[in-house]
Amino acid sequence: MRQVNQVKLGEEFINKREHRESHDRCLWAARMRRDTVAASIPQWEEMRALASDIRKHVLSNLDQYLEQFAKNAESNGFHVHWAKDADEHNRIILDIFKKRDVKVVTKGKSMTMDECGMREFLEKEGIEINEADLGERIQQLDDQRPSHIVMPAIHKLRSDVADIFARKLGSDRDIDDPHYLNSVMRADMRKRYVRADAGMNGVNFGIAETGGITVCTNEGNADISANLPPLFVASMGIEKILPRQSDLALFIRLLSRSALGLDITQYTSHYHGPRKGQEAHIVILDNGRSDRLSSSDYWEVLKCIRCGTCMNTCPVFRRTSGISYDATYMGPIGIVLEPSYDLYKYARLPYSCTHCGSCGDVCPVQVPIPRLILYWRDVVVKQGYGETMHNLEQAAAEPILKNSRNLMLAEKIGLWALKNLPKGLTESPLLNPWAKEHTNPEPPKETFRQYYNREIKPQIDADGEKAGENK
Amino acid sequence: MNGEAKNEILAKIRAGKPASQPLPDFPMYPYEGDPEKGFIDHLLGFDGRAIKFRSREDAVEWLKNQPEMEASKIIYSSVPYIEGNFGEDELADLREAQKIETCVTESEMGVGETGSVWVTDKSLRHPVCALLSRRMFVFLDRSKLKGGMHEAYASIKLGDNQYGAFYSGPSATADIEAVRITGAQGPLALTVLLYNCADAKEPPELLISPNADSSVWEKYL
Repeated sequence: MRQVNQVKLGEEFINKREHRESHDRCLWAARMRRDTVAASIPQWEEMRALASDIRKHVLSNLDQYLEQFAKNAESNGFHVHWAKDADEHNRIILDIFKKRDVKVVTKGKSMTMDECGMREFLEKEGIEINEADLGERIQQLDDQRPSHIVMPAIHKLRSDVADIFARKLGSDRDIDDPHYLNSVMRADMRKRYVRADAGMNGVNFGIAETGGITVCTNEGNADISANLPPLFVASMGIEKILPRQSDLALFIRLLSRSALGLDITQYTSHYHGPRKGQEAHIVILDNGRSDRLSSSDYWEVLKCIRCGTCMNTCPVFRRTSGISYDATYMGPIGIVLEPSYDLYKYARLPYSCTHCGSCGDVCPVQVPIPRLILYWRDVVVKQGYGETMHNLEQAAAEPILKNSRNLMLAEKIGLWALKNLPKGLTESPLLNPWAKEHTNPEPPKETFRQYYNREIKPQIDADGEKAGENK
Repeated sequence: MNGEAKNEILAKIRAGKPASQPLPDFPMYPYEGDPEKGFIDHLLGFDGRAIKFRSREDAVEWLKNQPEMEASKIIYSSVPYIEGNFGEDELADLREAQKIETCVTESEMGVGETGSVWVTDKSLRHPVCALLSRRMFVFLDRSKLKGGMHEAYASIKLGDNQYGAFYSGPSATADIEAVRITGAQGPLALTVLLYNCADAKEPPELLISPNADSSVWEKYL
């Protein structure tokens, strides 16, 4: 199997200037809106810490909460299923559909179903799956995976969508007004909703105390999918549980503000069983999550609530788009999640990071993404999947950073090289890939250590002596 | 159901889960603004509309005179004080709900922090009628306004409703170049009739956000 080369795929997007600029602009606008609404809530940082603690509590008692959730969901009238992996998940759903002779399905967004390759699986079985979220539908019609977990087609321009809709839905290719394109989607989906034998959705939160599920969307498509057909199936990862109804308030307040900078999603909907005459199922999926939970280095990744804010803020993601990660999960959370699904295939992803740390700063549940990136780099190199440059980096980092004399020497050599070696060498993209898009900085006169020892240290020493005399 | 997978998953979790961490309690962070002002501002921010009335009777009177309520329109009403012309007989097949032009309903609670109205399978009777309608009118008693989300969740019992949802303005999308579009797949407009407002203007004033006009694209439908 081949490895995903995000750098190369990202380059393709970087070279599409109009796309790149639009993408960057849209995501940065979402990040700025997030900052504005977060700043309007004085307890925002306190809420992030609380949300993190609640998620940690749930995960460290997950077996009990899952049992409580399943028991209550069943008494609400849900059929609850358990799937160890993607294959089981898909087969459970296929069985449900076969029993009810389901031919047409409308489906809302679900990362869990995406992760299982469920749509492709069911399509092969002859079931027509209609993605009902606009962005997701655009990607389905274009036969491309979503590029963002909240805005699946944000890497496309309106002209791309006009072209896809013209080819697949027979709309007017010359009108690329998003309002028109939305009306095309609306009219087409309305025909599909009434043909649907079943509706499907993902789950944002499962509430243990009440045995219900919460789904947060803006378009109304998920609610139509759940409320119209006679059969409804929801998929939920085992980690999606919250203990109490009162916890929802906190998480609803954080979720959409983080994702899009909006105070809430237009539709924040709670389901406690099927409606009269309806049959409703919840499939609870493990697919590696219980393994992640058992890793003391890594389990906190399961706190994630899939808001996508780490993508919006990431300087690498904004310029390269989610398509370049060639994975279900992309951006900062993707580069720490995907290696746990397939270490070899996604071994290069943890290197698509500038260590700016912003993802960790904005995450509403404080997933320590920056630390997890370093964790995966370590695993990748130890497994022998690292590229030569990364192996060298890692091999050099340990002796240099662990020993102050070596670090001092490295600083001196670095400064000397920057001052004296020809640019052809220090800015050779082969030896220094960083220089592909940058020129080296002007070399400073001295290293920071030299400056510190001359200017700062004597002062600190003098202050220290004074403090000692005063005693 | 498939007990084997369940037991296996739970056993794996038990074997590997980290040491138990405490469940924190947290304060009911109060909403610091005025609930009514917050409600209207946020509702308009979500491209919803609001109109204040002294009494429910005034609100009913106003609504009856709106073009959306003309006899030629297909009207679904889940409230006893407004008569619709599309009822249980027509809804024997729920897919017929697509024809609904106007949906009239009521909410049991509004939220100042977000401009949301709380609706349920009881208040809507058939949620799909609201979701597939073109325009929604929602009656809301001013005294049912809550300030913040914590207060809102504390005053409902989720388990009592098969379907319970916060609707915040009409449906919307920003999936194409993040261009915000009012009226995605659900209603194109949502108007809250807020009654029992002592300071309601005479005649009533429809509050509407300047960019909330779905008629800019309705021409395409």
